Amino acid sequence: MENKKSNTQDRELLITRQLDAPIDLVWEVWSSPEHIVNWWGPNGFTNTITKMDLRPGGEWDLVMHGPDGTDYINKSIFREVILHKKIVYEHVTGPKFVATVSFEQKGDQTCITWHMLFETAEEFIRTVKTFKADEGMKQNVEKLGKYLAGMKARR
Amino acid sequence: MKARRDVYQAIADPTRRAIINMIAGQPHNMKSITEKFDMSQQAISLHVKILMDCGLLTVRQQGRERFCEAHLDRLGEVAVWVAQYKQFWENKMDSFEMYVEKLKKEGYGKQKK
Repeated sequence: MENKKSNTQDRELLITRQLDAPIDLVWEVWSSPEHIVNWWGPNGFTNTITKMDLRPGGEWDLVMHGPDGTDYINKSIFREVILHKKIVYEHVTGPKFVATVSFEQKGDQTCITWHMLFETAEEFIRTVKTFKADEGMKQNVEKLGKYLAGMKARR
Repeated sequence: MKARRDVYQAIADPTRRAIINMIAGQPHNMKSITEKFDMSQQAISLHVKILMDCGLLTVRQQGRERFCEAHLDRLGEVAVWVAQYKQFWENKMDSFEMYVEKLKKEGYGKQKK
């Protein structure tokens, strides 16, 4: 029989980026609520962080406010925090996943990887499907894409 | 209750994913599929029927045997939706990167004014 937990290929996402910034800055922007509210969430959204207790077992409560007034509650529990190396958090409100954010210094640059492992392939598929179904969210993603392209062109 | 049949439903179950993997390489008859799983023939038949309804599998009668063939073109639909979801996170990373750039240009953290 197939072992549900052994193969993660069908229930994970991996995003990597090499940033032209020193690791202490990258770490700070990722780990302080006063910075996170400025970049988290799609364009047109604002964020409120009511709690961010960055240590193993600590809670992280972030609410995304959509442009139409809808609030999206995101609750996570930090599992592992290693300064300038790694943050592991478990997203406990739907969709359920464990995210591992890794930081690696490369001279003056920093390589950051964001790995999201969903509980089951079923949960992952459901998430992708719900996301697809949410036209408002999709439009926001498209809008953000255009906005970013515009910003890049101006640089 | 009338169940909705789409490609997501087809791959949402581990047994159905295993059946697809099994027949993806070459068609198998019902008997060899049933033998592979620790399940009743009725249960396997139901999974095969759902895969048929979702358009991922056809059954071909050959003599006394029924062969299941995979039609994987519809799975591309899922890949597109996964890619779209991934883009959402890539955009978040873009936003993160630009914010870091902005702070850097402002000389944040280097010297206090």
